[in-house]
Amino acid sequence: MKRVKGMLAKINWFGLAGGVLTILVIAVSMVYPWWQLKVGDDLMKINASPVNTNFGFLDASFTIPFIWALNVIGLLTLLLSGVAMIIYSIMPAKSFAKPLLDFGYKKPLYTFLFFVIGLVVVTVILQAVLSINLPLMGTTTSTVPIPFASGITLSLLLSAGFQWSFWLAAVAAGLCIAARLYHRKVATVPHV
Amino acid sequence: MDKIRLLLTVITIVIVVIPLVGMLLAYQNNLLGLFVPPEITEIADDLMGGDVDNGPGLEPPTMVGEPQYDEASHTFAVTFEYKNSFPIDIIVKSLTGNIECEEHRFPLGNASLSEPVSIDAGETGTMTVLGTWTDEAVNHFATAHADEENVDVVLLDFAVDISGIKLQLDQSQMEQTMQVPNPAYEG
Repeated sequence: MKRVKGMLAKINWFGLAGGVLTILVIAVSMVYPWWQLKVGDDLMKINASPVNTNFGFLDASFTIPFIWALNVIGLLTLLLSGVAMIIYSIMPAKSFAKPLLDFGYKKPLYTFLFFVIGLVVVTVILQAVLSINLPLMGTTTSTVPIPFASGITLSLLLSAGFQWSFWLAAVAAGLCIAARLYHRKVATVPHV
Repeated sequence: MDKIRLLLTVITIVIVVIPLVGMLLAYQNNLLGLFVPPEITEIADDLMGGDVDNGPGLEPPTMVGEPQYDEASHTFAVTFEYKNSFPIDIIVKSLTGNIECEEHRFPLGNASLSEPVSIDAGETGTMTVLGTWTDEAVNHFATAHADEENVDVVLLDFAVDISGIKLQLDQSQMEQTMQVPNPAYEG
């Protein structure tokens, strides 16, 4: 009983939860995007996340090769981060644990921040270059210029929002940071 | 420990570099394809494939038949046909326009779609637009067109809401001329 208690005391539970949740976020993000934009009455959809971004036009769905490559990077980064966090969390006092923690704990946060910054940058660029007002959250009507067709004004109903998977990713990133803060406690627990 | 750190750093570099380099190599002869997949080009071609004179994929509605007028309520009904030149099924949720006397450019009232209309891709749908003459319009008919049984009016400033996409055509783009019964004509 004491031995089990000792083993459990050695585990960095924040790290374990963060690692498992990070891998869960990957699986969830394949189906549920972090951020979704709808144009008109579902005429067009953009489903975005760091691991899977696709564009839908009615029944057709497609991806942009460059974004696909970034998604592969995001997926592998989160996957390795999750695995590293799990291994570290189970054996936080081992000699290899600290490098695994250092490798794993920041990546979910960085991925989260890069995603948000990327979205903001895209909306700012669209606003500056094409004068399209793309909402990050909520619904708006945006007027789109039509080339070679003066006298025609095209207004699009745009509704966007962060989905629950986005907040799940935020929790995973938070747990990984908490694991780093909690590390000193578990790393000094003597072996039983 | 240093070896583990080095290994993890190498892994980080590899998972960043390989997808990017692989994609660059795959698209080395067509770098634009990295950002613009063929699906986008196909969709753009489909949407731009409409009547060239009226803009990308857009065709103005055409009036069919004679306008119906209800003397008691001062309301009229005009039937339009609209060809869905888009490669997708659409719902025309609303259609509004202003009506002016063609001769005097006097505003007579406005018109709006009686009910939303679904039109399949490539098909032509029939829409009924209802409108009411304003009191000023009835006075105008009485004073400026008293001896005319039918009056030429124009329907302009069309605004169409198609499946959440709103299209506003100004006067230069579309002006539908039609003859309506004069509500003030006493024959």
